[in-house]
Amino acid sequence: MTTQNLVLGQADPPRPARPRKRGRSTPYLLVIPACAILILALGYPLVWQFITSMQRFGLSQQFGQPPEFVWFDNYVTLFTDPYMWTVVARSLAFCLVTAAVTMAIGTLMALLMNAVHTSVRITLQISLLLAWAMPVVAAMTVWNWLIDWRRGVLNSVLTGMGLDFQNHNWLANPLSFFFVAMVIVVWMSVPFVAFSIYAGLTQVSTEVLEAAQLDGATLAQRLRYIIVPIIRPVLAIILLLQVIWDLRVFTQIRLLQDVGSIASETNLLGTYIYQLGVGSSDFAMASAVSIFVLVLTVALSWFYVRSMLKEDES
Amino acid sequence: MKRKLASLAALATASALVLAGCSSATDEGTDASTDNGDKTITLWLAGGDTPDELRDYLKSEFTAQTGATLNIQQQDWGDLVTKLTTSLPDANNTPDVTELGNTQSSTFTNVGAFLDISDMYEELGGTNLLQSFVDAGMVGDKNYALPYYFGSRAVFTRADVWAAAGVEQPTTLEEFNAGVAAINAANPLNIPDFSGFYLGGQDWRNGISWIFANDGELATVKDGTWTSTLASENTLTGLAQLQELYKSASNAPNDAKDSNQYIYLNDSDEIKDAEGAVTSNTSLSAATIMAPTWAHWSIGTLGTDADGKATRTWDDTKNAVFALPGNDGKPAPVFAGGSNIGISATSKNPELAKSLLRIIYSEEYQTMLGQNGLGPANSDYVDSLGDDQFAQALIASASNSKLTPAAPGWATVEGSLVMEEFFSKIEGSTDLKALAKEYDDKLTPMLNGE
Repeated sequence: MTTQNLVLGQADPPRPARPRKRGRSTPYLLVIPACAILILALGYPLVWQFITSMQRFGLSQQFGQPPEFVWFDNYVTLFTDPYMWTVVARSLAFCLVTAAVTMAIGTLMALLMNAVHTSVRITLQISLLLAWAMPVVAAMTVWNWLIDWRRGVLNSVLTGMGLDFQNHNWLANPLSFFFVAMVIVVWMSVPFVAFSIYAGLTQVSTEVLEAAQLDGATLAQRLRYIIVPIIRPVLAIILLLQVIWDLRVFTQIRLLQDVGSIASETNLLGTYIYQLGVGSSDFAMASAVSIFVLVLTVALSWFYVRSMLKEDES
Repeated sequence: MKRKLASLAALATASALVLAGCSSATDEGTDASTDNGDKTITLWLAGGDTPDELRDYLKSEFTAQTGATLNIQQQDWGDLVTKLTTSLPDANNTPDVTELGNTQSSTFTNVGAFLDISDMYEELGGTNLLQSFVDAGMVGDKNYALPYYFGSRAVFTRADVWAAAGVEQPTTLEEFNAGVAAINAANPLNIPDFSGFYLGGQDWRNGISWIFANDGELATVKDGTWTSTLASENTLTGLAQLQELYKSASNAPNDAKDSNQYIYLNDSDEIKDAEGAVTSNTSLSAATIMAPTWAHWSIGTLGTDADGKATRTWDDTKNAVFALPGNDGKPAPVFAGGSNIGISATSKNPELAKSLLRIIYSEEYQTMLGQNGLGPANSDYVDSLGDDQFAQALIASASNSKLTPAAPGWATVEGSLVMEEFFSKIEGSTDLKALAKEYDDKLTPMLNGE
């Protein structure tokens, strides 16, 4: 437990003696401003969205006509629309695969950073930081140039290697579109994963590892039975974050769609909501999908949140 | 805490005062009616189509006539609909006057985004104004948005490649269809992925010309209810011709949209060896494209102007431009490009906004539009376009051009990319009628804004 607490950055016991109970209301009073800001900033839009999702709300309503309240009509339309389920399945698959690949590469990077000499590590860290700090739109512009079907470096290199990739359009086929999107999203999120796991790794005490090595544990065994269990809380929370981020991925997909591909075949939940709301001015339907995504996210992360809470308690 | 709040409030007030001071300071020195001296109205222009010279004229003329200040803000075409959707209903953030695409005009007019300017209609040009655009800005018999300028689409070719393939400039649509297929098959310069006619799979804005040219319609209206008519007989004839073009004349990607296709006509990207001989593929990969007439500024030999900016110089030995021919001796009806302009219904200065419209529809400004290659809204001033080959192609193709349906939901159709999706499926379709029927079912409720 000690190591876990260390990893999570919590102070270890001994606990300070509890201060005498003075006014019981003081803590609540102190919490009120924070809660008020949360309710205003997060609650209001959420409530608005929920209400809108139960109305007919289009361009005319935006220009002042009173919306008609239709209860769950929008949701019924939504859930009976096969296209919606296609998008959901596509998003889930994309998010899980991307998160898994990101975690795998991120973990390997972290282990690499832990193993190499300081100067190499710092070079590695700087390059990771640069990728992480790159504004998404700028990075996407460069990626778009790389994969450009006529003059892109990628096709040129592959053709140079003797493969027939002359004027190959990567974005036209949905599968290769998502492959490209995945590479880009992974490239952008690996640094965060690598740094966080590296921070976790620095908390694994060398004594434990040395002891295991003396007992004859191989590298794989040490990784599996010692390192991973110790940094598991870090892995769990990072995976959770990745899943949530990759589920609502928007910018990368949207910017790729601007370059090529047929939008209806490459929409993920984020771009689908955008197309409904901003493109078609169907704000009610867009709200309904957003609420559904919220529920989906909570459902996906519920398992993790619960297991993390449990570990905190024990 | 209280003191902090108080000082914050003081700071806010002070800065508000200072800012207010700034804004009134800029109005000093206006000579005309001083009543308006502290007023500013905002004009949104879409994209960079209106040249700086015209913007400067509008600003100075507006101040001279009214004493108020005109603030011109340029918006991107890409998110114009979004910005209009969020800004127009909000009196504090709305532009007073805004330009918007002619096809977007009917949607915003129908939801009541614009001020009724029927009383000015005669004064601003009346029936001399381009009627198809006027219709797109009408509800019932009231005028809300009026034409700003028009463009049209023309065919741009590599005359040298056409000549090398031995194909003459066509005089009918059928000759055109056969001609570009022949050039595609001949590929006289042996260019990989060469297109006799580069037509992107999702490029419906150019593709609908074939529907219109065969007397097809995208949608018809009866008693106020719109019906999508992709599966009607004439439309299907056009779609079949398009399918043939996609198969035999175009190697453009299936996901390519109507965007800068003129770059495929330029050959300035040749890779040359020491002797100057071409060693590698050039960027030239199409013999023919269709684009708005102003695209001629982007076609030709690469050079630099006095400021070092890249320019293109049209080369008559290599390039040609003509209106897409129809089968009845007239130019084929192509999709009319261009903009409408309207006053926001929530504008706080409608009178000043009306003054701005008077300037825009004045002879002087209309003439300036024409001199810059933008078709003037008022037909009396179309002569100002000049008579070079581009003006001729513009006037010829515009003479028979058509707009997309003026249905309340048309902006929604564009925003949801359904037309792009439909066109991308034409080439691979084995049953065009069933495909058209499928999209009719999708489009009809959207057109009616349901």
